[in-house]
Amino acid sequence: MKLRTTTILATALALPAAALADTTLIMPQQDEPRTLSPAPSSDTGGHGPTSNVYSHLVVMDWGIVEGVAAYGDLADSWDVSEDATTYTFHLNTDARWHDGEDVTSEDVKFTYERIMEEGYTFSSFLRDVKSIETPDDDTVVITLNQPNMAFLPMMAQGAQWTGKIYPQHLWADQEGFDTGPYVNEPIGSGPFKFVRWDRGSAVVLEANEDYFRGAPEVDTLIFRTIPDANVARAEFEAGQFPYLPFNYAPPLAEAPIFEADPEINVVYTPSHFSRDLQLNLNHEALGNAQVREAIAYAMDREEMNRLAFNNSWTPGYYAGVSSLQKWIKEDARFPEHNAEKAEELLDEAGFPRGDDGWRFSVKVTGPNISDCSAITEILVRQLRDVGIEAELDRFDQSTWFSRIQEKQFDISCYFGRYGPDPDAYREHFSTEGARNFMSYSDAELDELAAEANTISDEATRKEMYDRIQEIVVRDMPYINVFEEQKMSLVRPGWTGFAVMPDGFNKSISWFGVYGVSGPEDE
Amino acid sequence: MRLPRYFLFRLLQMFPIALFIVIINFALIHAAPGDVSILLAGEGADPEYMAQVRQNYGLDKPLYQQLGAYIGQLLQGDLGLSFRTREPVIGIIAERIPATLLLAGTALVLASVAGVAIGAVMARRPGSALDTAVTTLSISLFSIPVFWLGLMLILLFAVTLKWLPSSGMASIAGPREGVGYVLDVAKHMILPVASLSAIWLGQYVRLARASVSETLAEPYVTTARAIGYPERRVMTRFALRNAMLPIVTVLGLELGLLLSGAVLTETVFSWPGLGRLIYEAILSRDTPVIMGAFLIMSFTVMLAALLTDLLYAALDPRVRL
Repeated sequence: MKLRTTTILATALALPAAALADTTLIMPQQDEPRTLSPAPSSDTGGHGPTSNVYSHLVVMDWGIVEGVAAYGDLADSWDVSEDATTYTFHLNTDARWHDGEDVTSEDVKFTYERIMEEGYTFSSFLRDVKSIETPDDDTVVITLNQPNMAFLPMMAQGAQWTGKIYPQHLWADQEGFDTGPYVNEPIGSGPFKFVRWDRGSAVVLEANEDYFRGAPEVDTLIFRTIPDANVARAEFEAGQFPYLPFNYAPPLAEAPIFEADPEINVVYTPSHFSRDLQLNLNHEALGNAQVREAIAYAMDREEMNRLAFNNSWTPGYYAGVSSLQKWIKEDARFPEHNAEKAEELLDEAGFPRGDDGWRFSVKVTGPNISDCSAITEILVRQLRDVGIEAELDRFDQSTWFSRIQEKQFDISCYFGRYGPDPDAYREHFSTEGARNFMSYSDAELDELAAEANTISDEATRKEMYDRIQEIVVRDMPYINVFEEQKMSLVRPGWTGFAVMPDGFNKSISWFGVYGVSGPEDE
Repeated sequence: MRLPRYFLFRLLQMFPIALFIVIINFALIHAAPGDVSILLAGEGADPEYMAQVRQNYGLDKPLYQQLGAYIGQLLQGDLGLSFRTREPVIGIIAERIPATLLLAGTALVLASVAGVAIGAVMARRPGSALDTAVTTLSISLFSIPVFWLGLMLILLFAVTLKWLPSSGMASIAGPREGVGYVLDVAKHMILPVASLSAIWLGQYVRLARASVSETLAEPYVTTARAIGYPERRVMTRFALRNAMLPIVTVLGLELGLLLSGAVLTETVFSWPGLGRLIYEAILSRDTPVIMGAFLIMSFTVMLAALLTDLLYAALDPRVRL
């Protein structure tokens, strides 16, 4: 009894004292983690904690927009052979697991080989790997079956989610990365150590004082689950946490309110994603190229920008986004708004207005994200103006996703991706592409896309991707609408979040907070 | 003497009903599009991996086989493993029940006791200005969406006045045991309990008012008054006791919904209870967790209905079980 009282007293006394010296950062997130083992599944609630506990071989920051393909994490540097099939990574010699063991090249080999064996999500980035060798403790040599220019940037990007390095000495006797004692009590080599997971509430991490880049400035890092976006915003305004990530951010139309508030910094982050429309070419009318062109003319991006985005988004007229500057073919442009021209084209295509004023009907759908909702709402009205009987068709995220995979849609808003490497065009537009939900197929494009990914000469590659953009804009299986821009809110005095220019290359991954520091007087 | 037999009969009756509920739930979940392999593997995932995930979770088998396997497992008392976490469903659910019971139980007790008291007082002064005000207020409370009320309470008490914490069940850096912890949880409970009980309160006030004013008009109340019983006694002994029957019915039904009734409140206040678990499980198509939670909830509803019937017999001697 006596002991217990003492403990309580000690806790009560220790807390305020500790709070003075320590920086605690609370990061809100919408989903509860499923597990704290990143490899087996893509897990929106787990990415935050695991990205700070585990390290990656190489990683990508939002800094891709500055033109860097990949940053080293465990790898300090790497060399690529002339034929672009052999990658030699030199690991940081100071890296330690949180239990004190050395991080070695064997850990990298073990992790990647198990990911490939089990067929986990990240294995798609490793599909061209022929062998992984470890000539010494600090060197990893990855050999590819064929040159793949997208290998390094795609691997760096995929690592954010599911490509973290596991300690072999703890996992070797487990069957997979989804069983055993370390699934939910992770031991990694990252800047923060796991402390505890209060189910339904929060994951608590503490600074790793022995981190190989030096201890982080944040001492205690807490990922709190707050499912309701309105509550998260209210709590941010009440000062409960200093950072409101973009997935919680209020509609852009409200941006002026935040910009006028001296207690809030509005951070805009460019990305290599667009918001675009995928058209299902199996649809009777949408299978007609003239109809697709007419839809491009019927669409008014300026009006959408004004109504939905406070004029802060960049309309997308290229088959690309400006953050991937050097790969854009500027002459290949989608048409600007011209409703009369749209009506003419529809008449010519054999879809005149019927007695009821309608030419044909389409259903417009999209993922359950606020900007796509806004775009599709306005698009429906713009299509109806030219006689297309458009209607909104909405689903929850997973239903929408399985429907477009099964090609049960007419027009869908989509988040097209153009980077980190232009090989993304193959993913979206080649006949077998994983993101080609449109049933689009063009023999010339297929051939170009397959070849371009094996060519290391940048000028030649550029010509090929230019041609691909011309073909896409000619056939319009999709229509670019906007370049994505993320809006996050940060309290003054806090710097180094991954979405901020001063955090791009310091945060270690999109979910990393290694670069974050708080106000000095706290 | 017939009571134990009746009780046993009712308990046994639960099992065929539960089986029926399992089948209906199973059909409903599988009628919804989207499957767990897409969610686990992530967007644009390898088709081979997705096929493997389906195989691992037995999703590649025909539906009747999946259902059969599930029921077989249930008969052995096993609710299975969660798709998302690979942990036993029974443990995941058990972990969340105390938080929900604490929140919903407190709210229900507060709402029913206060509601009946207010309703009974109002019934004695029907048509007064106070009665009109209370009636209007209780209808408003009853009609307010709970998530909106919760949000407004957060804005007022947590954001503007900063008196109370806005969400969660305890301070993350706060004490984890002893008196300090209890006080911390109590502080976190005020807003969610207030918004949840406000909704229920309106209902009980209206119910009690209607029910008591009805019994007050009964001849036996007039008789009691004529005999000269004090008004207090008339109220408690004659009016309220008879008025309790419909109130007990509603209370019993709500007792059954204790575990499930707080989904929205738990989501708004980030309360780590069963309602949030179900919400998350539905979004991620975690069939074993959804099925397990529904099964446990249907048992609580059935048990509550049984308890209500037993209580009826105690309150009203005319009811013979």
